[in-house]
Amino acid sequence: MTSLEIGIASFPVLMGLIFLRVPIGLAMFLVALGGLYLVTDGMSVALSRLKNETYSTFSSYSLSIVPMFLLMGHFATLGGMSSALFKAAEAFLGHRKGGVAMASVGACAGFGAICGSSLATAATMSQVALPELKRYGYSGGFSTATLAAGGTLGILIPPSVILVIYAILTEQNIAKLFLSAFIPGILAAIGYMITIAIYVRVKPDAAGLRAPIPMADRFRALFDVWPVLLVFLLVVGGIYAGWFTPTEGAAVGAAGTGLIALLNRGLTRSSLVDSFYATARNSAMIFFIILGAAFYNGFLALTQVPQELSEWVVSLGLSPWSVLICILALYLIFGCLMDSLSMILLTIPIFFPIISQLDFGMTPEEVAIWFGILVLIVVEVGLITPPVGMNLFVINSMDPKTRMIETYKAVLPFVASDIVRVAILVAFPGITLVLLRALH
Amino acid sequence: MLLQGWDMHKLVLTLARAMAVLGGVMLTALVVLTCVSVAGRVLNGWLHGAFLQSHAPGLANHLLDIGVGPLLGDFELVEAGMAFAIFAFLPLCHITRGHASVDIFTARLPVALNRAIGVVVDLVFAAVFILIAHRLYAGMLDKMAYNETTYLIQFPIWWAYAASLCAACVAALVAVYVALARVAGALPDPGEVDL
Repeated sequence: MTSLEIGIASFPVLMGLIFLRVPIGLAMFLVALGGLYLVTDGMSVALSRLKNETYSTFSSYSLSIVPMFLLMGHFATLGGMSSALFKAAEAFLGHRKGGVAMASVGACAGFGAICGSSLATAATMSQVALPELKRYGYSGGFSTATLAAGGTLGILIPPSVILVIYAILTEQNIAKLFLSAFIPGILAAIGYMITIAIYVRVKPDAAGLRAPIPMADRFRALFDVWPVLLVFLLVVGGIYAGWFTPTEGAAVGAAGTGLIALLNRGLTRSSLVDSFYATARNSAMIFFIILGAAFYNGFLALTQVPQELSEWVVSLGLSPWSVLICILALYLIFGCLMDSLSMILLTIPIFFPIISQLDFGMTPEEVAIWFGILVLIVVEVGLITPPVGMNLFVINSMDPKTRMIETYKAVLPFVASDIVRVAILVAFPGITLVLLRALH
Repeated sequence: MLLQGWDMHKLVLTLARAMAVLGGVMLTALVVLTCVSVAGRVLNGWLHGAFLQSHAPGLANHLLDIGVGPLLGDFELVEAGMAFAIFAFLPLCHITRGHASVDIFTARLPVALNRAIGVVVDLVFAAVFILIAHRLYAGMLDKMAYNETTYLIQFPIWWAYAASLCAACVAALVAVYVALARVAGALPDPGEVDL
């Protein structure tokens, strides 16, 4: 076997291991180890790479943004920011048809602005919103589906852990990616609200109604949201204005939310320890996958698979748009089976060289940013597509009375709204890039 | 038997939790360090700025003299500390089954086969964690031999490797325990990822 053949053969082997329930990071690590053994005729290259590979991956300055953002999300919850957001959104929207569900989506969007992870957003907002949805007679499946979908806003609206990883993999500017994710994120929230409005008109018994509350109370609730706004403006604004690097921004955000949690008396010794546990589990999971992916991608690069593959695709002479649509469709299919981070780490080193060689009539940087946002959206759809949607699992486990199949059924309109949005953003790249073009 | 008791599990879990807290304290320290450095840099900019230099030059220059400014090489400390924190986070993730995996295809396989897969995965995991710790040790020896230091603060890189190595050894120990306990049937099959 030539090394190119070994590289190509590694992919089905890897998929086989993953589908046999081998943890994804471990599977990539093992395949890279075996592949390097075959390609370099022995273990010495693999072993000497490993001397520095783990340390340099875990000590990466750009990646240290990830645990900091995770910690920030936990502090934000302890500081009562999630419930303040929900109360404010509920005060303004709650009396409409499906309004409490719309408020949940709005609150998720707000929480997404201070939290970089979908799972954390979905889980946090569920604690606040699920009891309220139940109280106003929203059906179980509709409530869990709304929150699972709303949770994906956590990653679409900057800051976003997945975008940080994409930026590192493709050597793009994190601040510019954050900026470009903003409008698609808002569109997602609006799309979900429209979906809810249609859903409750088709199925009127899925939601109850409540009386409007006085305007003064609404604005009082809105005022309580100021810490969220402050932290968001400081972190994202500061990164964008160049006051600090994205990692420094994450540190400022974590310190800011921690301080607010401390002042609100949400931060006690035991809740701090719990945040450490949760941050530890999530960070270790993410970094172990990143380690496996770094090791595997190093092996793939040695076999020349990414270069050969992209040259082959270009030589086919297909239209750039059909290649793009095929790639996005692949992500949607794989998204039903795999988590978003693993997918990004596994596929971007292969797909990005292909996309960057195609001509979409934009500058290379614009294509890279636009493609990054599109990929971000389609992998996030994977979080809510049955059967393997992590958000669906997490939210459903928080509501023991609702059966999984009800959540599966109710989430489909949200998936449809996602697909419509992806189609719009593919057809009109200007929507994603307008902020970037206006400000640079 | 040493492994079958509940106490052994509790002991290892406590160890993993202690490491997670240690990593969390390190992460918090790095957050504070970074904020101090950012604040120093911003203040330094103001003190050098035209307004303070023309209105209160004495105070501004005094503060500059005592060293108000960004911390030298703060990112080198962040890198070294973060590596330790991530290694310290691994044991808790491992013992509480925090790793992402795909169980949609194995859900329909017989229970015995699923159990067998679980045992093999945990044994391989233990081997990989030992390998990682061993290679980290070899990497540390290299850094010691070449006397490599960081660029700005110039502390020996092997210190950072040594700190990470301690945490990596705990991770390997925990992984060995999980594997042995699984072989002995003292741990249940993980089924699906719990979060």
